[in-house]
Amino acid sequence: MVDRVNRRLRLAPWTSGAPVNPARLLGPALALTALLGTAALARTLPPPDPEPDPLHLALQAELTRAWELLQAQPEPPYWLQVAVMDRRMRSIQATHGATGTWRDDRGRIGDVDLRVGSPELDNTRKIRDAGWFSDVPRARFEVPIEDQGGAIQLGLWRGIDDSYRGAVRQLIRVRANDAVKVESRDSSADFSPSPPQVELRAVPSVELDPQAWTDLVREASAVFLSYPDVHDSNVSFAAEDQVRHILSSEGTRLRLPQSFVRLSISASTTAEDGMRLDVYDYVDGASPGAMPDREKTLAMAHAVAQRVTDLRKAPIVDPYVGPAILRGRAAAVFFHEVLGHRVEGHRQKDEDEGQTFTDKVGQPVLPAFLDVVDDPTLARVGGVDLNGHYRYDDEGVAAQRVSVVEAGILRGFLMSRSPIQGFGTSNGHARRQPGAAPVARQGNLIISARQSVSYTELRRQLIAQVRAQGRPFGLVFDDITGGFTFTGRVTPNAFNVQPVSVWKVFPDGRPDELVRGVDLIGTPLTTFERILAASDQVDVFNGSCGAESGWVPVAAVAPDLLVAEVEVQRKEKAHDRPPLLPPPLPATTKAEVR
Amino acid sequence: MWTLLLLGVALASPSSSVLVQAAEAELARATDLRLPDSPPPYLLSYELLDGQVASVEASFGALTSTDQGPYRVLRVEVRVGDYALDNGNFEGSFGERSGTTQRLLPDEDDVLALRREIWLATDEAYKGATEQLSGKLAAREGSTRSFGPDLYRVEPLVTEPVEWGEVPAEPLEELVRELSGRLVGRGLEEGRASARAWQGARLLISSEGHRAWIPTGYAVVRVEAVTRAEDGARLRDVRSWVVRDAASLPEREQMGAEVDAMVDWLVGLQTAPVEGDYLGPVLFEGPAALELFRQLLAAEISGTPPMELPPEDVGEGGQVPTARIGRRLLPLGWSVVDDPARAEEEGLAGGYTVDFEGVPAQRVELVEDGVVRRLLMSRVPRQGMEGSTGHGRSLGSNRREAMPAAVRIEPARPKGEGRLQKKGLRLARPTLQPYLLVVEEMEPPAVSEDFQVAFSGEGPLPGLTRPTRAWRLYPDGRREPVRGLSFVGVDRRVLRDIVLAGRTEDPVGVMDAAPGSQRFGIGTLGGLPASWAVPAVLIGELELSGSPGREQRVLKMP
Repeated sequence: MVDRVNRRLRLAPWTSGAPVNPARLLGPALALTALLGTAALARTLPPPDPEPDPLHLALQAELTRAWELLQAQPEPPYWLQVAVMDRRMRSIQATHGATGTWRDDRGRIGDVDLRVGSPELDNTRKIRDAGWFSDVPRARFEVPIEDQGGAIQLGLWRGIDDSYRGAVRQLIRVRANDAVKVESRDSSADFSPSPPQVELRAVPSVELDPQAWTDLVREASAVFLSYPDVHDSNVSFAAEDQVRHILSSEGTRLRLPQSFVRLSISASTTAEDGMRLDVYDYVDGASPGAMPDREKTLAMAHAVAQRVTDLRKAPIVDPYVGPAILRGRAAAVFFHEVLGHRVEGHRQKDEDEGQTFTDKVGQPVLPAFLDVVDDPTLARVGGVDLNGHYRYDDEGVAAQRVSVVEAGILRGFLMSRSPIQGFGTSNGHARRQPGAAPVARQGNLIISARQSVSYTELRRQLIAQVRAQGRPFGLVFDDITGGFTFTGRVTPNAFNVQPVSVWKVFPDGRPDELVRGVDLIGTPLTTFERILAASDQVDVFNGSCGAESGWVPVAAVAPDLLVAEVEVQRKEKAHDRPPLLPPPLPATTKAEVR
Repeated sequence: MWTLLLLGVALASPSSSVLVQAAEAELARATDLRLPDSPPPYLLSYELLDGQVASVEASFGALTSTDQGPYRVLRVEVRVGDYALDNGNFEGSFGERSGTTQRLLPDEDDVLALRREIWLATDEAYKGATEQLSGKLAAREGSTRSFGPDLYRVEPLVTEPVEWGEVPAEPLEELVRELSGRLVGRGLEEGRASARAWQGARLLISSEGHRAWIPTGYAVVRVEAVTRAEDGARLRDVRSWVVRDAASLPEREQMGAEVDAMVDWLVGLQTAPVEGDYLGPVLFEGPAALELFRQLLAAEISGTPPMELPPEDVGEGGQVPTARIGRRLLPLGWSVVDDPARAEEEGLAGGYTVDFEGVPAQRVELVEDGVVRRLLMSRVPRQGMEGSTGHGRSLGSNRREAMPAAVRIEPARPKGEGRLQKKGLRLARPTLQPYLLVVEEMEPPAVSEDFQVAFSGEGPLPGLTRPTRAWRLYPDGRREPVRGLSFVGVDRRVLRDIVLAGRTEDPVGVMDAAPGSQRFGIGTLGGLPASWAVPAVLIGELELSGSPGREQRVLKMP
């Protein structure tokens, strides 16, 4: 009867690309055999915990017991990791000036990652040409929110046992698949070594004043009542305090608290032509202190309401090819989709993937004035908390700054512990949503320009391009809601970035015109070649990215970019008439609203 | 302390005037809804479900989740056309809208905010109703068949606001901790207890004149335990309690004792033999008898016709309602009655005086002398029936359909348990098995793990869910638990083959939904309450197959 959908997740602005094929690895283990001593990887058990944590004690006890018992099996595991995500979510939301109820929810999810075989060839290797629904279900385990060792241990026992039996079955299939299929292009091993990590961080107590947040979201939500063109709206505050616990047979023992706080404001309307228009604005931070104060929140609400109002009247732009500026947040999402997903390590090994950049290491892939790094170790940029910050990835590897592109030249990939040709070790980018198997994912993707100009100059260059190309106008993509990309071979290797606000910029000095109804589309290599210049301003896009290992928090940072040629296509559109009756307004009577 | 906490404090309903005000205001405006070349609404109905809910779960004595708070949801139904032919009772293609919408409402009593939600939902429902009617008319275009009316008229119901109690989570937390804690140390692989309590009211306001507050509430507790047999077979049992509110739950000692008995049974089952392919008499006792009737009888006494479908989805045969008046369903002399108002008086789960459509509940004598004479009805008409019997209920935005609420089944000449067993053993004598199979418990459909149940959506392919508690009764009185059983090819006709029956037992609460696919997807704690009072029955011949386990655990339990 009760359906409490987490609206924060539902409203996650960034629907990033989920490639069709799961990322598992190809190729027999040849190249890295010398590096991968099985014993060195897996036979050390962790030292005792200096500060006994009941959850860790229970997890460690069962991990140790199970590990020792399984070593006696004919196909013993060579690596076993146990992870628990502990979440406390406090939230409140309001609509039309009235709130729901302050919620304080707690939950824990447990994951078991277990490998049998050897690092050279194990059960996680991708089955090539596998049938539909052939994946072995992943083992998750029930973790009580109360620290009762016996209950925790029983849940983990089932998780490990299920995981082990599934892994042994899968290894049989992997070996047969390896024998039947031709040799893979990338014959890297399946698992790379990484030193055990021990870090037990204290879990801070994050204090919140429920009444203050309730009052704030109610007041901000009431702003929309004075905008008759806004039909529906939502203001929410959500604070999620996570503690990731990771323990492994290698001796890794991590307790990693992290908080994500979001104040979000959304509003929607239906235009006269039936197009549904949604505007979503939000502030993400690592603590409640990062949230906007009352005045800023109310200003955000007014801005969202005004943008909805303006968009409702804005004309639709036709499909168009021509020069454009991607403002910082739009440029950030553009790079996340177009470059970021294509430099995730496991895609270089999976022959079902498009592998746009696999063979381009050392070659130019971007204009020479651009650098790209992915740096999860970075917590903030310009005073803004970055969503993609973490200290250790989901395989217990310390996060590292990775130089992806230097002066336009491709230098590296984002790596999990699944090696690929030329990149034998992890750089701490294995990430997952609890319940999924970790793969290489982005953290904080940062695009920087060695040469930049002011935004005014960038606009001047845009108008020059419009004139040079004989176009009637250029476009400025001001803000975006999200995007997606296809990285596989079955579908066109294209991207789609979905803007909220697009402005026409005219060469004759007319004021810019807000337009609606288009998505930015293209293919990676062609689009990168057309980046002409960058501004000296950077902006941050914080969001969540969904792909084969689930939803993970990410950030992208980029300057405004001038692109010589972009293509836009008509946005998907609904056809309903706007509401037939005017909205009920404050202090109206039936006679007044007719 | 326990009882006091569960009862809580009755809440005055300051919300009532605000909800009424908001719904009245929007109802008045909605009569102006018009789309070009389309009929206006002839009926607008608002249901505002308002209440308090607590849901908790624990595993082996430790909480795994807890949730408590207000719950407020709006259901808007718009009908276009007229009572004879409207948009209702038609299911278009996948993804097509209907005249019913639902929206969560803010918890704060703010008239304007509530009105805006009602305004948006009504607009959506009116557009959906117009599309639904056009789909229905298109589907009927050129049809040579005749169609009955779409909605019974009813007298509008006007009642005073009602009050409901708080539903604190703490007593339920304590309960599930304790019940699941009893599963510790018994060699069980899984052991969890979950509970939900809900108290509130359904405000019904419609253009027909309904202004009614209809009280609603239930509490459900389930305890589930899983162990493994020596051959690796997964052995699972579930104990459920469904009552009208948390204060009506049995004493904790009694619940605990039932849990202990369930675990004792499961532990004993670890070394029990797998029943082979069985063909012979079966004695259904207690909860198993309830499940037998609930799973085979509910569709036979619920009169709501199936949704009309586009001709391309039906074929030449058309849609035939399951329930039929005049059908022999049970042996001579048997009777079946559904009386929600009496159940309400007696404080039973499933009791009510007014259904979800604002229709007073009637006592319906469904089966007389073994033959179906009347059917349970919602406001969805059916040829030969005169009107709603006050049994219109359903979950969420689903069509309100006739659903059993308080069923009582009386056999013709009830016998004692000993007579049933004796007769069963006599019937077993000429078969291959020198024993009588006694089934004492079957999986409730809501918590069945049977893939076929989930896949078909309509019910288990064998006709009945799996027995979870069954034993062989030998002529010398010896009882031997058996496991691994599934029914084969059961349908309603087996009810006519009842050889003997016991006395009708006390009513037992269950969570259920209207017959159909809803029933098997309500989840562990979902659904609507109902109660069934049934006798133990001996059926002359049934087929069951047995299957052993497939895989043992590798790791020893910690």
